[in-house]
Amino acid sequence: MLIRRFSITSAIFLLIFIGQEAVVNQLNLPAGGFSIFLILTLLWAALSTPVVAAAAGFGAGILLDLSPSTDGPLGHWTLILVLLSYAISFFSYGDENMRGNPLSLILMVVLAQFFVLIFYITTGFLLGVSPIGFVQTLTTLLGSSIWALVITPLLLPAVAWLYDLAFDRRLHI
Amino acid sequence: MRNGGENRGRLLVVILIVSSLFLITLDLRGVSVISGLRSGTHTALAPFQRAGNVLVSPVKNFVNDVTHLGRTHSQIEDLRKQNQKLREQLISRKNQDGQIEQLKSILDLAGKASFKVVNAKVISQGSSLAFTRTITIDAGTSNGIKNNMTVISGYGLVGVVKEVFANSALVMLATDPSFKVGVRIAGSQQIGILAGLGSINANLQLLDNQTTIKVGDILLARGSINGRPFVPGVPVGRVTSVSNAAGAVTQSASVRYFSNFGALGVVSVVVQAPSADPRDSLVPAKPVPTPVPTVTVFVTPTPSPSPTTK
Repeated sequence: MLIRRFSITSAIFLLIFIGQEAVVNQLNLPAGGFSIFLILTLLWAALSTPVVAAAAGFGAGILLDLSPSTDGPLGHWTLILVLLSYAISFFSYGDENMRGNPLSLILMVVLAQFFVLIFYITTGFLLGVSPIGFVQTLTTLLGSSIWALVITPLLLPAVAWLYDLAFDRRLHI
Repeated sequence: MRNGGENRGRLLVVILIVSSLFLITLDLRGVSVISGLRSGTHTALAPFQRAGNVLVSPVKNFVNDVTHLGRTHSQIEDLRKQNQKLREQLISRKNQDGQIEQLKSILDLAGKASFKVVNAKVISQGSSLAFTRTITIDAGTSNGIKNNMTVISGYGLVGVVKEVFANSALVMLATDPSFKVGVRIAGSQQIGILAGLGSINANLQLLDNQTTIKVGDILLARGSINGRPFVPGVPVGRVTSVSNAAGAVTQSASVRYFSNFGALGVVSVVVQAPSADPRDSLVPAKPVPTPVPTVTVFVTPTPSPSPTTK
């Protein structure tokens, strides 16, 4: 059972990661664009138990760290996604009002993405990643939040369906 | 039991966090395995990225156009202006090429007859609504041009300087209805007066009733005293039809001018006539007919079938 869940989840994350790197990253969207992979990870975390969310965050973080477009040290994204995925799941797990309401899920993911990016920039600064300008940082933070607000509602049904497929559950969102 | 599961879960999270920190430390210490992992991922992703690029290119271009709408628009405007400029240059170049050709033929003609000429560009064509046929050239008194000087093109007579200014001059064309020039027929040396009719054709009136004229005869300017208004020997036109009206004292003919008055770009003003009359040396060469190859087809009749008997 565990192997089946792990295989399906890994395949989904790997496919979305390839889609992100091969297609979405090349679109050169304005205001930093969006990351369907990050949105998937955060949505997955919001739907999972804290331990599963942390494990999914670890795997997603490793993939993001291995991405050619990442300039931070390996483990940077991994650390952030383990902590944030665990935190999201910790706050939402067991609260059916939160998990059953798509609007709450969307807002939580958008906010989580905002904090993930802030956390990434801050820890990156501490780890010696060359800092970017204040205006550019602000534009990217706001832009990616707006993008997430647009993309998350579109992705939510698909992610919920994939989650059901992987965990043999029937989510009521 | 539940407590144990929670503890295991927390332990797993702690292990994941420690692993992340361990990876960061390894990478910051420059362990080669880590950089190898990244380059391996890069190599593995490269084909997908190439395929993605092919798929995404139209969308990417569209998004790029939308996001850089102003810049794209200004680029299109710049290219339009550049295109227009190049078109103008091309037209100007074609025009210049045409003028060079005209100038070359004028200089050939003037050189053959030893005319001293001043070249000028046609800067204006007089309106036909004014009932006179004139052109304005960009040379005037400052270039040594005076009234009543002959104006020629590469093909022959164009007209005569009617009015001259400091840097321009008005030329009466040979097609003007009030234009008259004394001519002689090349070869036979019969003389007559050619009068403009307002078109490419002119009317020739022979002066001697004993002489005859035929279609195809070439007319040259007879010349005036001191070469003004007409220098001798300039080709004028070719006889296209002869009129033999009953009761007419002399023969008259219709003449087609050699010069193309609709395409005058460069002309020359003869400022000094040659010391000797060039006679018939300026008569244009007859066009050489191009041989048309004929094809002979031999047809061999097929033998008719003979009746056969059984």
